[in-house]
Amino acid sequence: MDEKTLDDIISQYDAPSGRLLGILGEIQNRERYIPRELLEMLSAKLKIPLSHLYSLVTFYSFFSLQPVGDHRVTVCMGTACHVKGAAAILTTLEQLLCLPEGVTEETRSPVTTEDNAFTLEIARCFGACSIAPVLRVDNHLYGYATPDGLPAILEEYGWRKHED
Amino acid sequence: MTDEEVCGTKGALNQVTVTINGREYSAEEGEILLGVAIRENVEIPHLCYEASLSPSGACRLCMVGVRKKGKTEMTTSCTLRVTEGLDVVTETPEILRHRKMLLELYLAEAPKSEVIKSLAARYGVTKTRFFKKAEPADPLGNKCVLCGLCVRVCNEIMGGGVISFVNRGPYTVVATPFFGENPICLGCGACAQVCPTHAIEIENPGDERIMTSWGKTRVKLRQCPVCGKYYAPDILAETIYAKITPPLSQQIQDMCPDCRRKYLAKQEVLVKSGDFSGGNNHV
Amino acid sequence: MKIKSYAGFINRQCVGLQKLKPDIPRITVGLATCGAAVGGTVIFERLKRSIEEQGLDISLIPTGCIGYCREEPIVTITHPGKPLVLLHRVCEDDTDEILRAVASGSVPFDKALCRIEAWDHLMGCTVKYGTGFDQIPLYDEIPFFGRQHKVILRDAGLINPEDVDEFLAVGGYSAAYLALTEMRPNQVLDEVERSGLRGRGGAGFPAGLKWRITKEKKSDKKYIICNADEGDPGAYMNRNEMESDPHMLIEGMILGAYAIGVEEGLIYIRAEYPLAIKRLTCALEQARKSGILGTNIFGSGFSFDIQIATGAGAFVCGESTALIASIEGRTGRPHPRPPRLTDAGLWGKPTDLNNVETWCNVPVIIKNGVDWYTEIGAENNTGTKVFSLVGDVERVGLVEVPLGTSINTIVFDVGNGGAEGKPVKAVQTGGPSGGCIPVRLFDTTVDFESLNAIGSIMGSGGIVVMDEDTNMVDIARYFISFATGESCGKCIPCREGLKHTLLLLNRILAGKGTETDLVTLQDLSETIVATSLCGLGQTAPNPVLTTLAYFREEYDALVKS
Repeated sequence: MDEKTLDDIISQYDAPSGRLLGILGEIQNRERYIPRELLEMLSAKLKIPLSHLYSLVTFYSFFSLQPVGDHRVTVCMGTACHVKGAAAILTTLEQLLCLPEGVTEETRSPVTTEDNAFTLEIARCFGACSIAPVLRVDNHLYGYATPDGLPAILEEYGWRKHED
Repeated sequence: MTDEEVCGTKGALNQVTVTINGREYSAEEGEILLGVAIRENVEIPHLCYEASLSPSGACRLCMVGVRKKGKTEMTTSCTLRVTEGLDVVTETPEILRHRKMLLELYLAEAPKSEVIKSLAARYGVTKTRFFKKAEPADPLGNKCVLCGLCVRVCNEIMGGGVISFVNRGPYTVVATPFFGENPICLGCGACAQVCPTHAIEIENPGDERIMTSWGKTRVKLRQCPVCGKYYAPDILAETIYAKITPPLSQQIQDMCPDCRRKYLAKQEVLVKSGDFSGGNNHV
Repeated sequence: MKIKSYAGFINRQCVGLQKLKPDIPRITVGLATCGAAVGGTVIFERLKRSIEEQGLDISLIPTGCIGYCREEPIVTITHPGKPLVLLHRVCEDDTDEILRAVASGSVPFDKALCRIEAWDHLMGCTVKYGTGFDQIPLYDEIPFFGRQHKVILRDAGLINPEDVDEFLAVGGYSAAYLALTEMRPNQVLDEVERSGLRGRGGAGFPAGLKWRITKEKKSDKKYIICNADEGDPGAYMNRNEMESDPHMLIEGMILGAYAIGVEEGLIYIRAEYPLAIKRLTCALEQARKSGILGTNIFGSGFSFDIQIATGAGAFVCGESTALIASIEGRTGRPHPRPPRLTDAGLWGKPTDLNNVETWCNVPVIIKNGVDWYTEIGAENNTGTKVFSLVGDVERVGLVEVPLGTSINTIVFDVGNGGAEGKPVKAVQTGGPSGGCIPVRLFDTTVDFESLNAIGSIMGSGGIVVMDEDTNMVDIARYFISFATGESCGKCIPCREGLKHTLLLLNRILAGKGTETDLVTLQDLSETIVATSLCGLGQTAPNPVLTTLAYFREEYDALVKS
């Protein structure tokens, strides 16, 4: 993102209410993470200490300081999903994406595959409880997910089964 | 509390009577109860309160019982504003039970802090049932209790904004952005001054100050042209001098406090003896 | 075109009614988040393409969700003069059959769930569709629908949420029109106060009283805010209310603003609800264009507008002081109250904060009056509540019943018990702040006081059903893990206490726990409840405390093994 784009985003948020999180959210949406340079630039432009912005982006789970993979796989961990077997969905995804088992829940932060193709993360609740368990890939929601159905979903995003 | 009960009327100077543990004390309406207790030497344990900073209510140790309509309700005394007839007790079996549990949690969170150990011991808590934090690389030496005094003093008093809370929940720490050096740090050391558990480390090796706990931020120290001692961070001195009007003379600015005192005392003598040749009296 | 007179208002109603009941067949597809995800979008696109290709004279409209989520995707068909027919479990391959049937003046009977001959939208407007297709059951004959009392969900799934005209057609904004042109602000406030409406976000504080406190504060500026940070896992009624009927919320806020005397309102909505944000943004824009928001609403002289502020993923921001911090661009760490929001809220100004569903209750109260409203519900618990009935239950969906309805009725009569016929063991209400209620207490009525009395809370209205296979200690661990991850970290009982609760539960679940651990678990939970700064911490141990109380044998079995 260049400086001009950042200025445009800032100017969209002229009202004080909801301004800072709105701007950061916009950066996150466009860049899919919050680059350090942009955070520093924003700090200088808005005359807000960098520590304050850093505190915000590390507090709110919507923001990520690390670049994410080409596709973002988010598993809902809401109550209905938990009761309906979200844990098995997560474990299977970790296996399919060759990530260490349990890493996503343990670190509670997004984990990206070595080839940078996928980032796996968990969410607290999409509010799509009626079709639990649910996962989202980029902006597509998949309801009634089953471990067996996961390879087919991932294949839509270019994933191929590993031949050992 | 109901929605109708407003926080104390700020700025009012009405004298009111409050009861603490059955004894009556006089206080100003709207004053913080913990402040009254400290003034009157009534013991209430606390970690996150400092009169000159905004109340936080984070450490939960200062909870007292407010007696009203035959019931006792627990609340933090650092956020409780005094009104006429306020009746509090600082220790009940219930308060003590919870206070001890909190102290066990503190022993697990800040196992290296002697201050926490002795505070806990005062309440008979000498060991904890919980898993103790032990991070060899913790820049705060496994002593931080996240009371937030350092963050508040840096932001509210010094206007620095050097440090802030980072992450959330059990992962919360106090740190500089990206855990690195922060060039806007004045090196004033107010953070270390207010820290109740002495967790913040500062070193002064030679001509610089190292804020060890804050990403090893380095701040140049100013050398006294008279005695040669390194006495204060350069940037801090500049910031303070910039606020003084009329400005101090360069000569006085550069001196360390000791030499300045000696110099000014000497000037005083010279003025009284009528000899102005000793130097610049533009103070 | 801005509505500036009664004639203008009626005119727009007629325009809307023409859309709702056109002279040609109308097909709608339920396109709330969940309906869209299980095939609704694909069905809609396919229908659209076919209608264009075949040049059919059919009106195709997206709607929200009618609440019977298990039966999604849901498609409705209305022929002029015939009943509205609900089709269920429609899939992409059914679209050709649907269009063939519609083109020949019929409906695909094998896909039909029920028919609606007339629908009372409660705002002085009953839409009469017509009769016929008698072989299809009536709406009321479907057990899932028949036991419900739809007030808040009266329009959901029937009107196009992206068209203000359809909302106007079903009596929408008529309460706001009435209030702004014929009532004094105090009259509106009195009505809401006398209706007994209590906050639907969980705490049940009287809404009218909160309005009055805000109104009576002296200040140059005041705000009203809608809390749409629906964070409880397992609860999604607010999402559906906003996705299916966004103007209902706006109308409620207009009435509140008028009663309190406020010119600026905000909707704080979680970032996880992109579709709700999109539909609200669209609704606000349409309302402004129609003169329903902005300066001089309906030509009445009253001005009010609403902005949207989005969250960024923090459950704790549902807590009022954290919510304000978040809007102001700070981290969502709660601060002790007082001062309350009504004294010093957004930007230090008196602020009235109410939940989505609370605001949504206001228009029907003003339109139909206090007597009508207080007929619904129970003593001190007037009105209805929308619950999301999910988990191991046969009929998953959104259920709206009068307050005071028993858990039995909701789970067994409406929900038809456990999924695949398995016996139900418990329900969990109130999200991470709530408790687990065993089946033997299912005659408990769902109201603010009764749920509190058995250690749970109403919360925002999530009801998660658990069958006999559920390990209750694991459920407790699940909620503590959630709360630990969402704790802001400011005060030690929540930050450290929950972490150690989680470690204890992990140890117990791994079969390494002892009797002493259970004592520690109980003691620690009690301290977290008693000493935490905000509601999140104060209620987070409830899942542990209720499972210890009602399912103690499961803990004992783990400790002994």
